[in-house]
Amino acid sequence: MTRLRNLAWAAPAVLVFCLAAVPKPSLILATTTSTQDSGLLDLLVPMFEKKSGCVVKTIAVGSGQALALGQRGEADVLLVHSPDAEEKFMAEGWGSQRRRVMHNDFVLAGPVEDPAGVRKAKTAAEAFRKIASAGTLFFSRGDESGTHALEKKLWKAAAVEPEGGKWYQQTGLGMGQTLNVASEKKGYSLTDRGTYLSLKKNLALEVLLQGDKSLLNVYHVIEVNASKWPRVEAKGSGAFADFLVASGTQAAIKTFGVDKYGEPLFFPDAEKRPATPSGKGRTAPSRGAEK
Amino acid sequence: MTGERRLVLEVKGLRVRRNGFTLEVPSLALAEGDILALIGPNGAGKTTLLMALCGLLKPAAGEIRFRGEAVDPASLRYRRRITMVFQEPLMLRGTVADNVEAGLKLRGLGRAELRERVEESLERFQIAPLAARSAQSLSGGEARRVSLARAFALEPEVLFLDEPLMALDPLIRKHIVRDLEGALSHSRLPAVFTTHERREALRLADRIAVLEAGRIVQEGTKEELARRPPNEFSESFFDDLGGPPPARC
Amino acid sequence: MELIANGVNEALRLLVSLDPEVLGITALSLEVSGVATLLSLLVGIPVGTALALCDFPGKRLLIGLVNTGMGLPPVVVGLFVTVLLWRSGPLGAFGLLYTPAAIIIAQSVLATPIVMGITVAAVQQLPKSLHQQILALGASRGQAGWMLMKEARLPILAAVMAGFGAVISEVGAAIMVGGNIKGHTRVLTTATVLETSKGNFDVAIALGLILLAFTFVINLALTQLQQRGKA
Repeated sequence: MTRLRNLAWAAPAVLVFCLAAVPKPSLILATTTSTQDSGLLDLLVPMFEKKSGCVVKTIAVGSGQALALGQRGEADVLLVHSPDAEEKFMAEGWGSQRRRVMHNDFVLAGPVEDPAGVRKAKTAAEAFRKIASAGTLFFSRGDESGTHALEKKLWKAAAVEPEGGKWYQQTGLGMGQTLNVASEKKGYSLTDRGTYLSLKKNLALEVLLQGDKSLLNVYHVIEVNASKWPRVEAKGSGAFADFLVASGTQAAIKTFGVDKYGEPLFFPDAEKRPATPSGKGRTAPSRGAEK
Repeated sequence: MTGERRLVLEVKGLRVRRNGFTLEVPSLALAEGDILALIGPNGAGKTTLLMALCGLLKPAAGEIRFRGEAVDPASLRYRRRITMVFQEPLMLRGTVADNVEAGLKLRGLGRAELRERVEESLERFQIAPLAARSAQSLSGGEARRVSLARAFALEPEVLFLDEPLMALDPLIRKHIVRDLEGALSHSRLPAVFTTHERREALRLADRIAVLEAGRIVQEGTKEELARRPPNEFSESFFDDLGGPPPARC
Repeated sequence: MELIANGVNEALRLLVSLDPEVLGITALSLEVSGVATLLSLLVGIPVGTALALCDFPGKRLLIGLVNTGMGLPPVVVGLFVTVLLWRSGPLGAFGLLYTPAAIIIAQSVLATPIVMGITVAAVQQLPKSLHQQILALGASRGQAGWMLMKEARLPILAAVMAGFGAVISEVGAAIMVGGNIKGHTRVLTTATVLETSKGNFDVAIALGLILLAFTFVINLALTQLQQRGKA
């Protein structure tokens, strides 16, 4: 019994020692559930970690929370897809640089029977109007994510106020789980193509509307402004952002998912110039700055 | 009153409060080798007095002297020189031997001496064959013997016993009394015990104190009390005994 | 039902093939929850015993607080610990957020009141005269506390199992303070949530079964300890 007691005292000391011995610099990347669930980051992050020797801690929350974390200096770099909120973020000076990384598109998924007749709609706004007037189940993420933000924009374009309607259900969950719920209850949902493709085999949903201009889904990488928050890992976040727009990475993005789903999940989109002028202007192409 | 023998325990002006009841003992003494019995009806304060003397109840007033020196009975030093046997045997988990050595282990005694004292105590109370038995599986009489053996193994300077023979059937009681008497006379321990059982009180005790409603109404040797019983309880305690029993050797 | 059968197959396959990611996740789960339980014992049992034995004003209020603490929601604890560990928070300088240490902290906060509360009840249930008898045998207060702890071994081990069960199975705190980061803070419960949201139901069930299996083995060992010596 005494031996056990001695072990009991030693164990926490040993553990604290082990955990404290983490000298590698670490970077907090706040991103959306769609980039994580699709598996893209499982590919890209190890690539970056190997190159840079930096440890990346990926927190997959909605774009809304990611931007909020960036605003508090609790994250170093953001990979998000909520353009209006991002522009506000940059305008208020929370980010030092914002660059386009990739895009894909949103699709409107729903049950094969399509009770609201969405297939016949020409634009996303029209489809939303049809759903509202038919009163068929629609599942929203309701979590201030990029997807949710676009969805709200589309309701506005359709001149419909969905809140309060019994057919309008907000799950508060990530994209994958929301699609699972929609599939189970045979409802409609707005989703990014990537998540839909990766879950397709388990869903009883089909793509009923796609290709509309308003459904474009753009991802940007934002470096959090270190001058506002001194604890932010400025060098690491810069290096990660550079990595994402580097041509090697962009090539990897281009081919991601093709062998599994027959089509790419994301389309690389990095510009040679930064997306919005803010603070430092980096004019040289990011190739070669991969350290 | 007690002749040339030294006083082991002396009480002066003791006042103890417990559950709305007050015990007042202006003076009480226990001499070397004396065995004092506290008798009295239920609620008279016998157990209260015992617990105060053992340091388990804090007195509201008064002084206790141990071998001539004022002492705080709650202190560890004092508690390691005395011990008390409770009404219920209160066995600890483990075997009989584990229980008997419990008090010795607390004092950090060496393995060899511990074993020797335990064996001796087990013998004295005729429970050596039970040494490896689980203490939870004992009969009432067996458990009582274990708790006595446990106390005696400590070789205390004063022994306190609260109703040591309570609720035992007559045959078992007879044997335990015999062994207890033997142990007491062998060790010449001063002891204080409470009891309802008059036969054993008279057999074991040198002096008797009669308590009633929180006060000692009379104190003295058996003979003195038999001649002048102070109250009804005392009277019925002593009557039809046909004279004092033979003196102890 | 077929899904569950698939899950069982998947669980066996992952374990037998010693899939490194699953092994890593399992090891981390056991380590993190094990350490948290240990810390909760080291605090909960002695403090619980002292709380039961000592008398002081406000004792009932304190015990009431401890009993309330037994039902702390993991996600709320996770949220509070997150705010403490944020860079802008009071403990931000240590950089503990999104590390296993953060999960250990949050889980210790969850388990400690459970262990403490059950210990208080266990020791209070012992006869008061037992405490007095032990003191009358010459025990110091510390020795008496230790001996009473041993006397209450049965319910105290139940407290340990309750504490461990609470933390090995929780997901709310682990996700918040750990971030579910692959290779760093992903544990069995958080991985199950992730696999479910990805639609990999068989893997999710497999992970769930692995969690149950390990929890069963550990509790069996603790039960052996608890029941040892009983007739």
